[in-house]
Amino acid sequence: MNKLTKTVVIVGGGIAGWLTAGRLAAKHKSNTEQGLKVILIESANIPAVGVGEGTWPTMRSTLKALGISETDFIRECDASFKQGAKFAKWFDGTEDDFYYHPLVLPQGFGKTDLAAHWLAKQAQPTQNNEPINSFSNDVCFQEAICERGLAPKTIRHAEFADVANYAYHLDSVKFGLFLQKHCQKKLGITHIIDDVIAINSADNDTTGNNAEKGDIISVSTQNHGDITGELFVDCTGFSSLLLGKHYQVPFKKCDDILFIDTALAVQVPYNSEDSPIASHTISTGQQAGWIWDIGLQHRRGVGYVYSSKHSTEAEARAVLADYVGDKFSSLNVRKIPIISGHREIFWQNNCVAVGLSAGFLEPLEASALVMVELAAQMISEQLPASRVVMDIVAKRFNETALYRWDRIIDFLKLHYILSERTEPFWTDNRDAKTIPQSLQDLMTEWQYRAPADHDFTSNNEVFPAASYQYVLYGMGFKSDYCHTPYTLDDREFANSQFMKNKVLIDKALSSLPNNRELLEKIKTYGFSRI
Amino acid sequence: MAQLIAIDNKNHLNLKVDASKAELHGANLHLVPAVMSEFSNMAVQYPLMITKHADTGQFVCAGMLGFEAGENLFWQEGEWQGLYLPLQIRRQPFFLGNPEESATQVASGDYVVCFDSDSPAISADEGQPLFNENGTDTECFQEAKSCLVQLLQGELANKKLVEMLEKMQLLQVMKMEITFANQQSTTLNGLYTVNEEKLAALPEEKIAILHKAGLLPAIYALIISLGQMHNLINLKNKRLAY
Repeated sequence: MNKLTKTVVIVGGGIAGWLTAGRLAAKHKSNTEQGLKVILIESANIPAVGVGEGTWPTMRSTLKALGISETDFIRECDASFKQGAKFAKWFDGTEDDFYYHPLVLPQGFGKTDLAAHWLAKQAQPTQNNEPINSFSNDVCFQEAICERGLAPKTIRHAEFADVANYAYHLDSVKFGLFLQKHCQKKLGITHIIDDVIAINSADNDTTGNNAEKGDIISVSTQNHGDITGELFVDCTGFSSLLLGKHYQVPFKKCDDILFIDTALAVQVPYNSEDSPIASHTISTGQQAGWIWDIGLQHRRGVGYVYSSKHSTEAEARAVLADYVGDKFSSLNVRKIPIISGHREIFWQNNCVAVGLSAGFLEPLEASALVMVELAAQMISEQLPASRVVMDIVAKRFNETALYRWDRIIDFLKLHYILSERTEPFWTDNRDAKTIPQSLQDLMTEWQYRAPADHDFTSNNEVFPAASYQYVLYGMGFKSDYCHTPYTLDDREFANSQFMKNKVLIDKALSSLPNNRELLEKIKTYGFSRI
Repeated sequence: MAQLIAIDNKNHLNLKVDASKAELHGANLHLVPAVMSEFSNMAVQYPLMITKHADTGQFVCAGMLGFEAGENLFWQEGEWQGLYLPLQIRRQPFFLGNPEESATQVASGDYVVCFDSDSPAISADEGQPLFNENGTDTECFQEAKSCLVQLLQGELANKKLVEMLEKMQLLQVMKMEITFANQQSTTLNGLYTVNEEKLAALPEEKIAILHKAGLLPAIYALIISLGQMHNLINLKNKRLAY
């Protein structure tokens, strides 16, 4: 029997649930007669985890795809702009130790190997005591914008338009509610508030079709009976009710690579109504982990993620207290366990997991929300028309998702392995046994040249080669081009790109508004659509 | 920085204004704010544009006088060479003071007429007086006040117009690359205008809304005035030829 996919049932109403529902409903016209039926079942008793206050620039296209106005989003989700991340005290822990991973590609990326030219410049003695600039500042204009607390656009820009590429910081609880309101009002999603008490599958093969054996037929709810559908999406968070509990798909831990296993999070009020709002995430290295610092409109989100093998909770609290300052004693500290890893597969039979039910990693590069977006987009774009094609789509989905998790793990690990900090947490991180072979291989190659897009073979890449460059050269890594000196032959063009970057910095600094000022203006005036 | 002083008939009984010098305020303007009530007069000579206010990003209406900041192509030989002088220039050197500036004004909701003490049109001996000897307004001052009232009302009308255009999604970005006779070229950015195709495709009920709100003449003035772009290019070519 070849069942057509007419109804998708999403279990769980956090951000993962609503983003998946929204993507599916928008693409497959759930607000029309012929459209796909999307049912979202949400428990009234399970609070959303509410992790992930940082997004990727992909969130802009996601919001657009859902038909959401950027002005509404910023106003209602306490959102602010994020122009990448500043990594402080990751290299040697001194006060002036920092580098940026901006969201704008290096100047002339793809046209010249600017990293090679930058490294060559660094090797020369500086003239007139010229200060040595960081890689990110020499090749990209965004660091200068962030350092001065400026926004990535002006009030005259249209919604989602920019001067410098940006993502968002947001209040995840407010974002969840905002998505729910929008999806219900505009996209025609059926919303059921109830508890799922049983999962009913076709254990008896009555159809004669082995592929369907074990498919979920329905989920039973407390008050709304059995909800049937052809595809079930598990957005039940860490409990992974469908994929983990029902299908028993094993969880693959990666705590042998990434040691962070605990987070202590606080919400810090601003000192005053006009305190600056950083337009980037600040990640500061600490003795047994790092502290995130995210500026929303009305408060900061700050948290220490650490390895409990390298720090006691009391020590960790002291580190966080020291970072936050006087206010700390009056704040409510939330402790969140972090189990780094992911399911071995993500799509089993007619069930696919999106969000925390699929996996979670320390929030160093804000990968949680982007993985939800990528999964939701892929499911909506490749939605299997019928049961016959579902296994084909599932196979591709699993391969792609697995590849993505592995690349993220490699990329997160990259941040740690070039550090020269001496605390056990950091030295343990540099132990070769803890570094995936795939990353070790790339590091070996990068001794001779900069990361390039062809190092990554998938067209579903999460981090571009430029991101690896920013981290590598930000952490002081040197690729040695002595075997290929002709790489520097296009010196003239490269110099023109360095110059162009300087011009762009001047232009941006003279034209972009203060970040808080722009956020205030958005509240009053909003962006126009064009 | 212009200094704004509130006008009263005791301190300023002998103040005089030379209307012909008011034009000087527009000598270096390349965009002049325009209100809906003067669109049809403006459209006879100037392209009407919608742009965004620098501080608020809100859409505002303006007549285009030149292609770059500081360039008013209608300013020639020390005079405004236009058939119609925009209200925003005519009201010079007078302004309406913001009633929020003093508590008593907030209570009354009244506006205060101020003048710009740095204005070249202000003088103690030349021009027309503002007040008659008995302290009542002269015709000249009454005329200035009526300009200010028109501008104030016009701001509200403009707001209604752009809000409606935005709501009905009738605005479009106007991107224009112009090459002048001497091959020098310029790209116009930050300008918006009415999308004629979308306007033509509006369902009847929406056209009726625009009609009842009295916005259709202004919308067509915006569209038709774009033909004045040729006039503006012509003026620029003449200036470049010198």
